[in-house]
Amino acid sequence: CSRLHNRPTISPTLLLSNMYQRPDMITPGVDAQGQPIEARKIQEHFEDFFEDIYEELRKFGEIESLNVCDNLADHMIGNVYVQFKEEDQAAAALNALQGRFYSGRPIIADFSPVTDFREATCR
Amino acid sequence: RSRSKSKRTSGFDMAPPAALLPNAAAAVAGQLPGITPTI
Repeated sequence: CSRLHNRPTISPTLLLSNMYQRPDMITPGVDAQGQPIEARKIQEHFEDFFEDIYEELRKFGEIESLNVCDNLADHMIGNVYVQFKEEDQAAAALNALQGRFYSGRPIIADFSPVTDFREATCR
Repeated sequence: RSRSKSKRTSGFDMAPPAALLPNAAAAVAGQLPGITPTI
């Protein structure tokens, strides 16, 4: 969305912007070379990503929840939300992720105000 | 972390392909960098 959401100075939740890229992000069900991709492959791709990120983030603390948007719409595309148990764990993770890459793309990390994903909507 | 699992390597710290980093990467690869556009 185009709203400027507030970015808290500290939060147990981090937002990793646009981090997940579906293999069929250009056209649903089709890869970048125009070849059809099986749904199973897409699912595996997602699970590999999820595992990567979970393994990396849990080094910094206990993860309360990990949400990966695998949508195709522009809105929040590929956003990853990770909620740690403690704010300082999120701060450590944020610090450690700065300036790093994932799969050839820079990681854009920030604190997020979201602490309850069932309630997480634009207001 | 344990590497005993048969899993492909993590995408973490996978740097961008050389094409996207003309100066640093090309220097390492020993190639001539392309013409850098003037900003």
